[in-house]
Amino acid sequence: MTSAGPRAGRRLPRAAALGAPLGALLLVVLVWPLVTMALRSVSAPDGGVHLGRYVEVLTSGRYAESLVFTAVLALASTVLALVICVPAGLYLERDRTRTGRGLAVAMTVPLSLPGIVIGFFIILTVGNTGVVPTLTEAVTGERMLQISYTWAGLLLGYLYFQIPRVVLVVRGAAGAVRPEAVDVARSLGASTATVYRRVVLPALRPAIASSAALALATAFGAFGTAATLSRGIRVVPLEVASAFTDAFQPELAATLSVLLAVLTTVILVGVGRLGEARVQGRPA
Amino acid sequence: MTAGPGAPAAARDSAPSLPDDVVRAPAPTSPTRPSARRRRRPEQVPLDGVTRVGRAFAIGAAVLTLVPIPLVLLVALSASWREGPFAGLTTQWLVEAWTRVQGNLGVSVRVAVLVLVLDLLIGFPAAWLIARHRFPGRRLLQAVSTVPIAVPGIAIGLGLILAYPTLRPSGVLMVAGHVLYTLPFLLGALTPALGDPAVRVQESVAATLGAGPVRRLLTVTLPGVRGALLAATLMVLTLSFGEFNVAFFLFTPTQQPLPVVLYDGYLTGRLEAAAAATVLFLACVVPAALALERLGGAKVGQA
Repeated sequence: MTSAGPRAGRRLPRAAALGAPLGALLLVVLVWPLVTMALRSVSAPDGGVHLGRYVEVLTSGRYAESLVFTAVLALASTVLALVICVPAGLYLERDRTRTGRGLAVAMTVPLSLPGIVIGFFIILTVGNTGVVPTLTEAVTGERMLQISYTWAGLLLGYLYFQIPRVVLVVRGAAGAVRPEAVDVARSLGASTATVYRRVVLPALRPAIASSAALALATAFGAFGTAATLSRGIRVVPLEVASAFTDAFQPELAATLSVLLAVLTTVILVGVGRLGEARVQGRPA
Repeated sequence: MTAGPGAPAAARDSAPSLPDDVVRAPAPTSPTRPSARRRRRPEQVPLDGVTRVGRAFAIGAAVLTLVPIPLVLLVALSASWREGPFAGLTTQWLVEAWTRVQGNLGVSVRVAVLVLVLDLLIGFPAAWLIARHRFPGRRLLQAVSTVPIAVPGIAIGLGLILAYPTLRPSGVLMVAGHVLYTLPFLLGALTPALGDPAVRVQESVAATLGAGPVRRLLTVTLPGVRGALLAATLMVLTLSFGEFNVAFFLFTPTQQPLPVVLYDGYLTGRLEAAAAATVLFLACVVPAALALERLGGAKVGQA
C-alpha cells in the first residue's frame, strides 16, 4: 500500500505539477470525447435536445436482441471461465514446480493477444477449413466440430480471452485460502466439493466478484473477437461499428456507445463491489 | 454467505481495479503461508482432491490457450491447406506475408514506441504522485485512470473521432487512443513499485548522505523500480502493437497498423496467408509476453 509523508499536505503545488499531464490527457482524450459522444446521442435535428434515440434503440427488436445476445454470451463465458479458473488459479499458486510454472505461463500469455487474433485462432482450429474438421475428415471421413461461426465458436473465443484475466485475479488472491483450513476440513472428512463450498469459495469471494466484474465488462465491450468470428450474430460493439461505418449514422453509433459504456462501467463497479466486505464503507 | 477469515484483506487487494494491480502484484504473502516449502513435503505426493481438480482444469485451460499457436505455424507452412494437412511444406506464405505486411509492421512499431514515450512522460510523474502523495482528489485520479478499462475500446475510438474529426488524417488520434488505453497498465505496474518502502528508505539514506534529487532519481529510484519499469515497458509495447478496437475508427489509409491488415486477411484472404501474417505478429508479441511473465514471477509490483 502507499503511504504519504507527514508533510504531504503542504506539497500541493508539486503534486499538481506531477499530476497535470495525466489530468490533461484524461480531459482531452477521455472526458471531452465522452461528453461529445453523449451530446451527439441526444442532439435533435433542429439543434435541441431529445432522448428519442435512446427510446428507439431500447425498443427496437434488433438492438434489444443484440443486447440480450451480448449479455448471454458475456455471462456464459464468465461463468465458464470462473468454473475453470478458480480451481486452476488456486492450484497454480500452490504448485511452484516446473509443471505449475509452465501451466501458469500458458494461461497468462493470451493476455497479450488482441481479440482479432483470438478470433482467428478459433477459425483456424474449428472453422470451415479449420484444423480439427480437416483432420477428423482425413481420419474418420466426417468433418467434426466445425463450429467457428456459430454460437459455440463465439463462446469459445470469449472463453479464450477470459481465462487469463480471471486466473490472474484468482492467483493474486489465492493467499486468502489458507492451506491449513483446507487440511483441517479434509481431516474432518469433508469431500472435495464440501471443501470448495465451505472453505475455498467463501475465502475467494472478493476475488471471484472482482474477476467476474472484469470478465463481464471485457466481454460486453469485446469487439475484435466478435468482428472476426461473427457471421450474422450481432453483439453490441459490432452494432456500434456498423451504425457508424455501414449506415453512417454517427448519432446512432454514439447512442449505442453511451449505453454500452454505461453498462460496462456499472458492471465493473457494481459486480466488483458485491464481493467487498460489508464493514468497509463506501469510498469517499 | 459469510466472508472467510482472509476475505477483508483480499478485498482490499483485489477490489475493482486494473487487472494489472492484481496481475503484477504476487499474492499477498501471509507469514504463515508455507507455499515455498510445501512442494518438498512428502505427503504432497498423493494429491488431494482440491489440488487434483485444480491441476486437471489448469491443464485443460493451458491446452485450449496453447494449441492454436503451433497450429497457426502448421497452416502457415503448409503448401496448400485445402488439400489436406499433408500436401507438403513451404515457406512461400511466410515470405509473401513478410513483403505484404512489413510496411504495416513498421507503422505499428513506430506507433508503439511513440505511445511508450508519451506513457512514460505522463505516467511516471502520475505514478509518483499517486504512490507518494496524499492530496484531495487522489482517489478520483486513481479511479478515473481505470476508466479506459471500463469503457470499451470501440467507444473510445468513436468518442475521439466525433470530438476531433479534423485530426483524423494526421494519425494523432490513434496515438492518443493508444496512450489512454495503455496508461492504466503502466500506472498499475509503476505505482506499487514507487510506493515500495524499501525504495523510499534507500532514497532517504541517499539524501542523508548528500545526494541531490536528480542523483537520487537516477542512481536510487530508477534502479530500485527497474523491474516494474521493464514490465510496464513490455506491457505498453505489446498492448499498443496488437491494439485493434480503439484503432478501428482511427487509423488512416496511409498508416494502417499491423492488426488492421491482419483483420482484412481474416475476413477475405486465404487461410494460409492469414496464418503466415499471424505468425509474424506472434513472433513479435509472444517473446515479449514470455519475458513479461518471467518479470511477473520475479516480484514485479513489489520490488
